[in-house]
Amino acid sequence: MILDGFRRLRKSGVLGMNFRNAGYIMAYNARSAYPLVDDKVQTKRLAEKFGIPIPELYYVVENHGSIAKLPGVLEPLGEFVVKPARGSGGSGIILIKGRTEDGFVTQSGKTMSKEDFNYHIASILSGIFSLEGGEDTAIIEALIHPDAVFKDVTYREGVPDVRIIVYKGVPVMAMVRLPTEASDGKANLHRGAIGAGIDLSSGITLAAVHKSRIVKTHPDTGNPVNGIQLPHWDKLLMTASEAMDMTGLGYLGADFVLDRERGPVLLELNARPGLAIQMANQSGLRIRLDETDSAPPAVFSSPASRVAWARDHFTGPDSSTLISSGG
Amino acid sequence: MRRPGFLPAAALFLLTCVLVLYRIIWLGYPVFPVSEGQSWQLLVNVYITPKEEQSGLSLALPSEQTGYMVVEERVLSGMYAFYIHTQGSNRFGVWSGAGVDRPEEITYRATIHSRPRRGVPIQSPLLSPFPTAMSREEQSLAQAAAMKWQASAPMVRFRAVVAALKGNWGDSPPGDDRSRRWRVVQQKYDRTDAALALFRASSLPARAAEGLRLAEEVQTLPTKWIEVWVDRSWVHLNPETWEVYPSSAALLPLAVGGFPAVRATGGELSDIRWTLNRQVLSQWKLFYEQITRSAHFLDRWSLLQLPQEFQGTFRILLLVPIGALIISILRNVVGFPTFGIFMPMLIALAFRSTGTVYGVAIFCGVLLVGYAARSFLDKLHLLLVPRLSVILTLVIACFTLLALVGNKLGLRELMAVGLIPFVILTMTIERFFILIEESGIWEAFRAAIGSVAVAVIAYGLISWETLQFAFFVYPELILTVAALQILLGRYTGYRLSELYRFRFLKGSS
Ligand SMILES: Nc1ncnc2c1ncn2[C@@H]1O[C@H](COP(=O)(O)OP(=O)(O)O)[C@@H](O)[C@H]1O
Ligand SMILES: [Mg+2]
Repeated sequence: MILDGFRRLRKSGVLGMNFRNAGYIMAYNARSAYPLVDDKVQTKRLAEKFGIPIPELYYVVENHGSIAKLPGVLEPLGEFVVKPARGSGGSGIILIKGRTEDGFVTQSGKTMSKEDFNYHIASILSGIFSLEGGEDTAIIEALIHPDAVFKDVTYREGVPDVRIIVYKGVPVMAMVRLPTEASDGKANLHRGAIGAGIDLSSGITLAAVHKSRIVKTHPDTGNPVNGIQLPHWDKLLMTASEAMDMTGLGYLGADFVLDRERGPVLLELNARPGLAIQMANQSGLRIRLDETDSAPPAVFSSPASRVAWARDHFTGPDSSTLISSGG
Repeated sequence: MRRPGFLPAAALFLLTCVLVLYRIIWLGYPVFPVSEGQSWQLLVNVYITPKEEQSGLSLALPSEQTGYMVVEERVLSGMYAFYIHTQGSNRFGVWSGAGVDRPEEITYRATIHSRPRRGVPIQSPLLSPFPTAMSREEQSLAQAAAMKWQASAPMVRFRAVVAALKGNWGDSPPGDDRSRRWRVVQQKYDRTDAALALFRASSLPARAAEGLRLAEEVQTLPTKWIEVWVDRSWVHLNPETWEVYPSSAALLPLAVGGFPAVRATGGELSDIRWTLNRQVLSQWKLFYEQITRSAHFLDRWSLLQLPQEFQGTFRILLLVPIGALIISILRNVVGFPTFGIFMPMLIALAFRSTGTVYGVAIFCGVLLVGYAARSFLDKLHLLLVPRLSVILTLVIACFTLLALVGNKLGLRELMAVGLIPFVILTMTIERFFILIEESGIWEAFRAAIGSVAVAVIAYGLISWETLQFAFFVYPELILTVAALQILLGRYTGYRLSELYRFRFLKGSS
């Protein structure tokens, strides 16, 4: 019965955690490239060098001493975002959209005293949000105002992000993560955000996954999540594809936010992207990865050719199921 | 993809096989850990109240010669000096001291293994003399009474003596009153001495013995019996009923030849208890002696050569890799969530002194108390390191409290709480809190339950004695464990939990 279950997973091309780790992450991601993506400051510097748009970096709090300098730095800023440079899963991120005399107003409308704010920065520095629990730095960056396209399927002021899995520079699967009330406005799935798959060739959303179940509507707004055309789709795919050249990572996840004015901005890169995207897309990654492996070498020559090939080959979930039953 | 891991794994496995086979074939190690015979754990508690300046105690100890092998002994002597005095085939532990004025507790502990056929002398023992108190005429009377069966075979003689002791002298020629006269004499002496005299008169070697019934019980008086040498083995006779004990294995002799099993001098025995417990003892442990004397390379490099006090550590340490293997399996094949990777293993080690029930209860209790405290601390906005220090302090405080309560209730398990790795517990509390904050209570409880379950499984494994001995005698087995770990590291299949995780994926259910 168990083996049967495994066989079915295999047949639908699901990528499991073990195979992701051994077959892709360990095989295609050099250890030396990890710091580039694990530390968001480094990612930002790199992206700037490659001309990839990012949320403007205001300041990096390197140590407890520089907390004292913060008031001066924050003085001219009406709104901004604080996040741990080495954080993950949305932890430690605070979106500040305004201020009062003695504090700040967060995205969800709560006020935060200056003292609480400084404590939060100190917590970030001491590393409690960091991947390995080591020392960390705190990033102060621009607050992104998301494109209105997902307004109807986003909880209040939440900021949706677009996750694209890139294998050997080829975008293989994508989803948009829509914040919910439960996810506190952040677009992280395990916090309760929902993830809607995206048809790679057209950039139109499919049904979504919410806590590992399939949903057609947003749990808070009740609006349908599928059938939404993403703006700047080709640009998103191109930028994601370039992330491979930028970092040398053969298997990565690129996170974008769609800015109202600037279009796609790169939030972060991930050397160990999660597997839930398969549920959002109702199709297995293995199939697409295998297909990429057998693509003609010419495909990999430039980001443009890789994106074109991907848009040709990876359409909605139905076609992949077709492939899986055929092979 | 399979190859690179397979080769080193196969090499490690082969190396294990070679070493184990070498030990079995050339060094004659046992293959199976079960042994014939039985092992017993003997515990003697003696409380002595000194009455004079010079006081002491003589206690018969189990000895090697009587068909029992003493594997390990430990003595706690309080204020007294201790030495072992050997007398014939008896060993006496002698405790003595001057100026001891308080009651003392003396404990003696030993593991005894009965070796069914060994330790029995091949030559028949000499006839022992008549009891010293018996006069010449009385001795010749006994001899005259035994005259009737003197010419018969030993077994027949033995049966005749036993029948006579029961009062059944059979027909005697009319006018022969020798047996009647002996019976009058017999009244003067105690049953054992009378019987010994009659056996002596019948040329059957016999001796009085004191010892214990081999049963799982507490005995406060030694058992007395008579051993008679009949047809190349000792037959045990109950002096109260004159019945023969069906099997000599039911008795553990402590002192033979009329010596008392315990005697206090210059003081009073306030209490004495012999406690016997059955023990599963591996045959390998019995090889200890043989291996320590061997000159073979692998014998000289055997862990059995380590001083006793370090051996225990290695018995456990060698099983830790298996525990790690189990954790890898549970995480990579099953998909069990746990706090930290080896944290459950460390908790499992602590369970050895607290037991699982108390261990799990203490773990959960301290985790919950820690969580409550951590939630409160969150409002105080403490920095990471001082905050962890506060939790650490709390954990230690909980331990102290538990130990004190344990002491009041007489629960050793609670007092052993200090052996739970407190740093690990502190980190677990912090992780538990963060996990609840970030991923919700359900996720955090899953990880807590996963950790405890893995710890209990790992504990069950490391307390399995047979496995302990197997790895202790054949430490090379850990190479095979490493091989399995390598193979597992190459496992790229699905995790059991992924069946559930991807259950809503099209075509996969
Ligand atoms: N500059 C920003 N402006 C608006 N929202 C942001 C910004 N940075 C992060 N977010 C929100 O927080 C979420 C997590 O941010 P991200 O940088 O991906 O950190 P993490 O590594 O913790 O996932 C994003 O999906 C988005 O919803
Ligand atoms: Mg992210």
